[in-house]
Amino acid sequence: MANIVSPFEDPERRLAAGRFGMLIFIASLAMIFAGAILGVLVVRLEDEGTWPPPGMPQLPWSLLASTVILVASSATFLRSTRALRREDRPVFVRWLTVTLVLALVFLVVQAYAWWDLLGRGMDFSRHLYAWTFYFLTGLHAVHVLGGVIPLWIVTRRVLRGDLSAPVRRGVAYTAMYWHFLDAAWVVLYLTLIAGTLER
Amino acid sequence: MTTLEATSPNASNAPDPPVDNYLTYTRGVLSWVFTLDHKRIGLMYLVAVLGSFLVGGIFALLVRTELLTPGATIPGVDADVYNQFFTLHGAIMVFLVIIPSIPGALGNFVLPIMLGAKDVAFPRLNLGSFYLWIIGAILAVLSLVYGGFDTGWTFYTPYSTTTSTGGVIPVVTGVFILGFSSIFTGLNFVVTIHKLRPPGMTWFRMPLLLWALYATALIQVLATPVLGITLLMLIVERVFQIGLFDPAMGGDPVLFQHFFWFYSHPAVYIMILPAMGIISEIISVHAHRHIFGYRFIAFSSVAIAIFSFLVWGHHMFTSGQSPLMNVVFSLITFSVAIPSAIKVFNWMATLYRGSISINTPMLYGLGFIFLFTIGGLTGLHLGTLNTDIHLHDTYFVVAHFHYVMMGSALIAMIGGLHHWWPKMVGKMYDEKWGIIGFTLVFIGFNVTFFTQFMLGSHGMPRRYYNYEPEFQIYHVISTIGSYIMAAGFFWTLFYLVQSLFSGAKAPANPWGGRSLEWQCTSPPPHDNFKTTPSVGDCYDFSVVEWDEEEGGYVINRSKVEESSPDH
Repeated sequence: MANIVSPFEDPERRLAAGRFGMLIFIASLAMIFAGAILGVLVVRLEDEGTWPPPGMPQLPWSLLASTVILVASSATFLRSTRALRREDRPVFVRWLTVTLVLALVFLVVQAYAWWDLLGRGMDFSRHLYAWTFYFLTGLHAVHVLGGVIPLWIVTRRVLRGDLSAPVRRGVAYTAMYWHFLDAAWVVLYLTLIAGTLER
Repeated sequence: MTTLEATSPNASNAPDPPVDNYLTYTRGVLSWVFTLDHKRIGLMYLVAVLGSFLVGGIFALLVRTELLTPGATIPGVDADVYNQFFTLHGAIMVFLVIIPSIPGALGNFVLPIMLGAKDVAFPRLNLGSFYLWIIGAILAVLSLVYGGFDTGWTFYTPYSTTTSTGGVIPVVTGVFILGFSSIFTGLNFVVTIHKLRPPGMTWFRMPLLLWALYATALIQVLATPVLGITLLMLIVERVFQIGLFDPAMGGDPVLFQHFFWFYSHPAVYIMILPAMGIISEIISVHAHRHIFGYRFIAFSSVAIAIFSFLVWGHHMFTSGQSPLMNVVFSLITFSVAIPSAIKVFNWMATLYRGSISINTPMLYGLGFIFLFTIGGLTGLHLGTLNTDIHLHDTYFVVAHFHYVMMGSALIAMIGGLHHWWPKMVGKMYDEKWGIIGFTLVFIGFNVTFFTQFMLGSHGMPRRYYNYEPEFQIYHVISTIGSYIMAAGFFWTLFYLVQSLFSGAKAPANPWGGRSLEWQCTSPPPHDNFKTTPSVGDCYDFSVVEWDEEEGGYVINRSKVEESSPDH
């Protein structure tokens, strides 16, 4: 074999190294979100006006709905991976599929929120309130998209009955990433709410 | 298996199996393009980084030549073009050369071997990092097609969001991508060091270069993302003319500086920490003496990595920070001097009564100590509030950071290149020619940059195209120095390339090193080790002996037995 794909010959050690790598990757991503949130908070505190500014809508209720959906998807993912750990395959497959559906619904709701606000005069380049909303939700949505794709790939393979070691690793890494996206969204949502509080 | 057992007594008696070599293990261009071998990836980084070094160096020479006389010197180069020259020089040297040079090129090559592993933890991710680097570099160079950029390498807002030069978005996108290349390399190294240490390779048996690369990787992983999000916001702001950094819309331009330096200050430790790691190896191996204060050097790397996150404000003493913040940042900045000085003292103590071989790597090592000391001590002038107000944005700053970024980081990289050159290519370079090269570079460097300390303290501001006539003599001396240095680098390139064709065959251990990379053949086989090497104290040179038949050093197994009772 010309190439060493992994220097780990023991699958357990390979998985452990992969999980550790994913943890570090998540720490990196956390710094990205932390930077964005900190920047928004600093600018918000320096702005003496009210958010939303006159003529712009409040944060939509659809954001609360999407929050509930994403937290639920994290819970279903947890049920699914726990089922896999005790080799309960039907339960694992069921909850994994539910997770994928919830993930797609989350993206649809976020898209609806954007469409809704754009229609109500929330113009990206008019005020930093609008900028903050679109930038933070957009940043998060891009990362969700980056999670849905591997989630879709592993779910498809699982539905075909493939439970090989690479698929199991894929499920494990995607789950970690997904829980991070969930936590990041909750913090982002709270940041958006905090922005609208009185100074 | 990647595991290495402690030396068995009959290991040396076993006949060596036929040894392949990673350069010829597979053939054809595609075997390089899709290689997952950390050694090949390191070599590809080396070529790419040295290519960028040539481009960045040409811009440096253009800048120096333009400054020979006040006003216009090179026909056709007006102030605007000059601004692009120094911006390109800075951006290329920082993002394409110094940051990836040691971890990407030398680190990739030696880290797994020094550790006793077959490869890094994620070989495919490693290749991915390399191609991210290529894409980022192409975008950065492509910015020239779009009209270049004149923001300085720091991309300060609001200038960067309003300047009419069209290359800002391509280059910022390029740097954004280069950042991810750096993050993934760091991630790979952290996991490799945690998870691929073979039995016997404890944390405190690791060569100090690995501690340095580990500390560097922590910064890469935690600081680089902040640069990423900052640059992303900068791109959005330039496109839509609204963002967190635009005061017209309620934003804060100083916030950009905070974000930028929150990355870019730690980034200078991304540059210097691996360099210090190389120096620890070079000094001990070529002085044939056990490194002094191993744990102090190891922990000072980690200490520097931690401090690096707490001192960014010292770049902003004149940016309108609160006076209290200035004092706090100034104080914490001084504390960085402690772990840095610990290292210098330990290297000195290692040299003391060592049996010093004066060869090219050692000269670069000694040169590093000299230049880093000047660079480090002048940093104290800049960390002191009242002197910084005077020296800020003058050539003093330029001289200071060239002493650390070039005189230290790059000099260590070139020293490391000579140190591991026989291992990488299997050929010896000509020692006499190496010493000539070092002499040219060292003299040229000091003539160029020591002069700039004078210029700066006399009040010559950095980044200026024009200047008062009384500064001209310094500028002329500095420019002459840069030509000498350039001659030295071209000379070095010449004899290194020449060695590929007519250099003597390198033995496995030409210098008398004790760490694991000197126990595999030169160049190493595809999976690094054919026979189990002995993991011992990697600085115990008493067991290393010259072997006439081998033409290099060998490890005396019987002495290993005596000196390590746990075997």
